Amino acid sequence: MKVLVAVKRVVDYNVKVRAKADGSDVDLNNVKMSINPFCEIAVEEAVRLKEAGTATEVIAVSIGDKACQEQIRTALALGADRGIQVETEGSVEPLVVAKLLKGVVEKEQPQLVILGKQSIDGDNNQTGQMLGALTNMPQGTFASEIAVDGDKLSVTREVDGGLQTLSLNMPAIVTSDLRLNEPRYASLPNIMKAKKKPLDVYSPADLGVEVTTHLTQVSVEPPAERQAGIKVESVDELVDKLKNEAKVI
Amino acid sequence: MTNTAHDVFDLTLTDDQRMNRDTVRRFTEQDIRPLAMPADVASQTPEGFYQRSMELGLTLMPIPEALGGAGVARAPVSNVLNAEDLAHGDLSLALGSISPLAFVNTLLDQGTEAQRERLLPQFCGENFVAASTALLEPAATFEPTEPKCSAVRDGDEYVIDGTKSLVPLGIDAQLLLVIAKLETDEPAAFIVEGEPAGLTRTQELNMGLRTLQTATLSFDAVRVPASNMLGERPFDLERFIDLSRLGICALAVGTCQAVLDYVTEYCNERVAFGEPITNRQSVAFMIADIAIELEAMRLMTWRAASRAEQGLPFHKEAYLAKVFCGEHAMKIGTDGVQLLGGHGFCREHPMEMWYRNLRAISLLEGLASV
Repeated sequence: MKVLVAVKRVVDYNVKVRAKADGSDVDLNNVKMSINPFCEIAVEEAVRLKEAGTATEVIAVSIGDKACQEQIRTALALGADRGIQVETEGSVEPLVVAKLLKGVVEKEQPQLVILGKQSIDGDNNQTGQMLGALTNMPQGTFASEIAVDGDKLSVTREVDGGLQTLSLNMPAIVTSDLRLNEPRYASLPNIMKAKKKPLDVYSPADLGVEVTTHLTQVSVEPPAERQAGIKVESVDELVDKLKNEAKVI
Repeated sequence: MTNTAHDVFDLTLTDDQRMNRDTVRRFTEQDIRPLAMPADVASQTPEGFYQRSMELGLTLMPIPEALGGAGVARAPVSNVLNAEDLAHGDLSLALGSISPLAFVNTLLDQGTEAQRERLLPQFCGENFVAASTALLEPAATFEPTEPKCSAVRDGDEYVIDGTKSLVPLGIDAQLLLVIAKLETDEPAAFIVEGEPAGLTRTQELNMGLRTLQTATLSFDAVRVPASNMLGERPFDLERFIDLSRLGICALAVGTCQAVLDYVTEYCNERVAFGEPITNRQSVAFMIADIAIELEAMRLMTWRAASRAEQGLPFHKEAYLAKVFCGEHAMKIGTDGVQLLGGHGFCREHPMEMWYRNLRAISLLEGLASV
């Protein structure tokens, strides 16, 4: 069974991001970039399937400029067998990403595609679902557990009321939630070995996709700074201030 | 002009170095830092720790692929970064983790082909191999370049006599690199395997580095085959000491960084007289001094390591770094305790442990050859 995993290069989750002075975007100059944590979970799950003998090959795909090869290499160091980069410039919206991934899916014919449920930069939570619609493949989103049984895939999802279990026919699409697994870290020798694993680069044209833009980012602003609070002497004073100053009760 | 363009000191880390750092830091956060204090209190290595540290792959990195390793050229800068990041979690466990690497690196650097082929493959297996280097001796007048421990040739063997102290993993190590002097007064290194007759191992009780469980090793006419003398040419003791000084400096930098991170957060949160104590200049200046001294320690260490990696002479740079790091590591340890006040003295906080461990930096030689 072939597994395709999508990985995205995003600002590291430890970084406190700032808006650019002109408000056009988040300032990414000299900022540490990493693999999106949900994508890392997706890679880990694919590698576990391979270690269990269920998967035969794990392919990591990323969409972006040359820099995203670093995240593909991270996925290769974690245990993916080969990488694919679809080279694009600037930011691409979820629909375009889904179309490009569809192109890769058609080329590689994986039985299972695992994506992160969302990326921590845009928080769109759309790509997996769009890919499902475009490829007409069944989808199990927000997976906290998956199990392969023949050509069926059981996906446990975290929903508001508890856990929901779906049975999907493969080929299928899964998006990973936080609790799907706890990713390992790549050992130092594996990081070096990852350099020798094959990495193919495609252009959108190779996949027959035209990169178009339907969304425009109007402005990026930091959240309003919280005003300092005050200390009150008594409950009466608190109630009074909540009633008359803050006007919340 | 001997200092040409390639002596320019570039601090930009390569992609490999950055990726390695991510991995080592993650290991440190998950597998070292939380264990450091309980292990220190118990004066014991946490169960299974070295096995987990081995899975990081530090030791097999420089071993040639033909022998089962990763075949990455020995890289003092990467090794210094690794030591620094590991020591951010704990100095003792960091030193223990890289002790086998010191053995492996020295064997690669100065051993014979036959010695490498015979001894290195075991480091590429599934299990942790406790290996270490023994240079220090307990004499008050000990000078690392002139060991008193002696090795006298007798037929096809050498007979080793003397005492080595502060040997990391010394109780367990089944592979030791023992530095001794020959009858000609030249230094030499001997591979001592297993539990030979005449070797006595004694657990040391020290002020710091308690988790490391260092040992004093007594050699009473211990016989090793002549083929266990490291290398064919005379042993380059100075190079061995210089490379281990870099490792020790890096360990100091990592621990001092832990101190700086800790005091900064603590002093910003600790409120006295209605405001955080960092609003007091006497506190703020002290923290700033730690940051300045630490950065100087780091730069001196990185520069010496960078020269070593480029194959340039680095003896002077390593020496200066060692003296500077030894002095300032102690001072930063003391200042850390001072900044935490009573909390720096008690075991609720890791500061007193860092203070005790940092005292060791200026004493250590020959343990962490990068």
